[in-house]
Amino acid sequence: MSTQDQHGRRRSHPRSPHSRAPRLVAAAGAAALTLSAGLATPLNPAPERAQAADGDKVLTVAVAQSVDSLSPFLAVRLLSTSILRLTYEYLTDYDPGDAHPVPGLATSWKPSADKLTWTYTIRSDAKWSDGQKVTAEDAAWTFNKMMTDEAAATANGSFVTNFRKVTAPSPTQLVIELKKPQATMTALDVPIVPEHIWKDVKDFSKFNNDKSFPVVGDGPFVLTDYKADSYVRLKANKSFWRGAPKFDELVFKYYKDQDAAVAALRKGEVSFVAGQPALTPAQAASLKGQQDIHVNEGPGRRFYALATNPGAQAKNGQKFGDGDPSLLDERVRHALFMAVDRKTIIDKVFQGHAVEGQGYIPPRFSTYFWQPSGSQTLSYDPAKAAQLLDQAGYKKNADGKRVGKDGKPLNYRVLCHATDPNDKAVGQYLKEWWGKLGIGMTLDCLDNVTDPWLAGKYDLAFDGWSVNPDPDYVLSIHTCAALPATPKDTGATDNFICDKTYDNLYAKQLAEYDSAKRADIVKQMESRLYDLGYMNVMAYPNAVEAYRTDQIKSIETMPKAAGNIYGQDGYWSWWSAVPADSSSSSGGSSTGVIIGVVAGVVVLAAAGVFLAMRRRTTADDRE
Amino acid sequence: MTTDLVRATPRRLAWQRRRRSAVRFWKQYRTHRAGLVGLAALVLFALVALTAPLTVGSDVTGVTDAPGNPLEAPSTEFPLGTDRFGRDLLGLVVWGSRVSLLVGLLAAVLSVAIGAVVGITAGHFKGAYATVLMRITDWFLVMPTLVLAIALATVMSRSLGTVILAIGVTSWPTTARLVRAQTLAVESRPYIERAKALGGGHWHVMTRHVLPNVMPLVLAQTTLMISSSVLAEATLAFLGLGDPTVISWGGLLQDAREAGAVSAGDWWYLVPPGIAIAVVALTFTLCGRAVESVLNPRLGVAR
Repeated sequence: MSTQDQHGRRRSHPRSPHSRAPRLVAAAGAAALTLSAGLATPLNPAPERAQAADGDKVLTVAVAQSVDSLSPFLAVRLLSTSILRLTYEYLTDYDPGDAHPVPGLATSWKPSADKLTWTYTIRSDAKWSDGQKVTAEDAAWTFNKMMTDEAAATANGSFVTNFRKVTAPSPTQLVIELKKPQATMTALDVPIVPEHIWKDVKDFSKFNNDKSFPVVGDGPFVLTDYKADSYVRLKANKSFWRGAPKFDELVFKYYKDQDAAVAALRKGEVSFVAGQPALTPAQAASLKGQQDIHVNEGPGRRFYALATNPGAQAKNGQKFGDGDPSLLDERVRHALFMAVDRKTIIDKVFQGHAVEGQGYIPPRFSTYFWQPSGSQTLSYDPAKAAQLLDQAGYKKNADGKRVGKDGKPLNYRVLCHATDPNDKAVGQYLKEWWGKLGIGMTLDCLDNVTDPWLAGKYDLAFDGWSVNPDPDYVLSIHTCAALPATPKDTGATDNFICDKTYDNLYAKQLAEYDSAKRADIVKQMESRLYDLGYMNVMAYPNAVEAYRTDQIKSIETMPKAAGNIYGQDGYWSWWSAVPADSSSSSGGSSTGVIIGVVAGVVVLAAAGVFLAMRRRTTADDRE
Repeated sequence: MTTDLVRATPRRLAWQRRRRSAVRFWKQYRTHRAGLVGLAALVLFALVALTAPLTVGSDVTGVTDAPGNPLEAPSTEFPLGTDRFGRDLLGLVVWGSRVSLLVGLLAAVLSVAIGAVVGITAGHFKGAYATVLMRITDWFLVMPTLVLAIALATVMSRSLGTVILAIGVTSWPTTARLVRAQTLAVESRPYIERAKALGGGHWHVMTRHVLPNVMPLVLAQTTLMISSSVLAEATLAFLGLGDPTVISWGGLLQDAREAGAVSAGDWWYLVPPGIAIAVVALTFTLCGRAVESVLNPRLGVAR
């Protein structure tokens, strides 16, 4: 389940609640720091590179997301799960070409005739970084821990809820018995941890695996150092069974501000700028012409959607939150859908760096990609939208505003992420499109959208998830089973959708081992979700990222033809990266930086002059 | 005879006195060249802001019918280029002046009003009341204003009112101290004692005798405070704490940063709002300094 939370796009970890104000203050402080880092690099002369031993090939990656946890049992963010991919091998990996399951820790696997028992053969040539052999017992212990300890099931629990029993009859054989057939058995994205290290952990809900380094693992890299909101350092595992990585060291360096990261790339301080969030069109365009810099653009794994509050409810049937009642009418939801011109969003906001949204799953996963049929399509049609609203009984009043059943004009609160420029930009378009329909809209941009989201206190919200090669997880978050147990609990649900037809289809696809038939059912689910009108998938943003060709000679994308590099479903990119011969970088600064510095100096000088004058004035006034 | 009587009523006399002092004020103000330059620039900005609905119109902020392509460089059609939605930046800078000036003005008035009330009452009542009030003032004085304003703007919903409030309630302590000092000086004069002996209550003394005497200080302080409020508004908007659907100069800078205009070198997105902020702040400072040196009894020479 490395589906998750892109740059805080979705709720943060439920177990680590932060109050909003201190976080924001900290964020502002960090912003100021990154600003100073971007403007005055002498203040922050890349200590990471300096510390590396001479001759070591270091690959530095600028990332915009902080680590939530380094424990495989807790981590849900893209950065953290990517790092765990690098440090702990999974049972199976995805082929970099077409994402079919390929051997990882398991060399082969097969289900029994009744579909309920899976037997995996574990490779015998894998070793933990402390020299011990990796055995089937480690895998069995990992799964058993997740099945018995609720805290250990926090991140990946959904994979094991259907497990009856996991045993290791021999060091090379793992047997998993299921309650019901489960189609995701070759896509168990669960990091296997060493039993001899982890058995001593007392409280899995608190252990973040970031105290003693190096962290014992069996992936292509070994975690050697970590500083919160600063960097994560990994060293190449020379004895990795698939072959040692070409770089000696891999550093993920945290840049809160993407512009600062781009400036660092120009200077050669970082080798790679991660495309999560994607580089803005302006950044990509300006980097494209640069010497020694390659801009890579691949189809994204994410969908970017507008989620409607369907009336938040808990599993016990209790309703909560304050979603607008008019949104319970499917005609209203379809009208809102039809008033959104997705093509304009692609052209103007993403400037072509995205694909127009259709079904739930991005076209990158062609097996499961679904498009609405002609008559089903809710295309941009404001006239028809107005007609639908009239039919639903939401007529315009004398002021041209549509009036709700309570006699008040309709005004929807749209929850947006203050950290995401796209949310704000699309929000302005929505405001004008819906305004023309006679519907008011308030853009509610927050740094922490988690609280109102979990409480159901919103009408619509910007939403987005990364999709795995196996779509089970992103489909599961719209089932009734994912609803919170009571209004006070946190469920896995995305936006409280609960639909019987959808649930039945979900159960059917999970039990279907024939991939073609399963894909067919998944498409029916997407069709149902589309008709319900709760999820308006507006775009599939591309992954736009850039790296220095004088530091990285070659790096593998996924899919191999025109794919992305950061946030792959696997460790292929960093494992395959080949260092360039000369590590000298041209330190030529750019006009952008100069302008930034000049503008900054002008503003600072003005403020300084002003303050000095103020100071003098008050000095005269003092008693 | 009757006309003389009319002329001699207290109200008439007061008006004559006021007119005379206004003329005297203007005569002295004219001698400050920097103040005149500031005033001229200020009038220009005020005109631009007030006539914006006629010159550029509110359509300039519309994103759905933006005339240009995103991030176009300056051309004859768009003298300052376009923003990331393809809107005309010259129009946006003109339109943004309305919000920036309005917020600056209202926040300064709010801040000075709080400061004046706290200062006058603390100076008048003295004792435990003044001690408590001045300690609160001290606390606000040592708190970093920006951090406090950010915290306030975060916990409240994002709107113009929030920004005005956040700036207003965090920047009043200096005014309070200034006004209190002046109040103490005024209240030690013999005529206050006489007023009290004649039965003047607290209210009477504070509004009739103290307030008119601290008013010049308050006015000068307001003018000076506006420039810092404009800067504060721009800062808050730049940090993303303003209403994203409202156009202001700080908001434009924030948009530019988010669109990656800084590293892309799209200077036309950054420079005009930045310069506008700096110039307006400078303008108000120049005016404020001139007003202060004319009105402040401590700085003035010909009183």
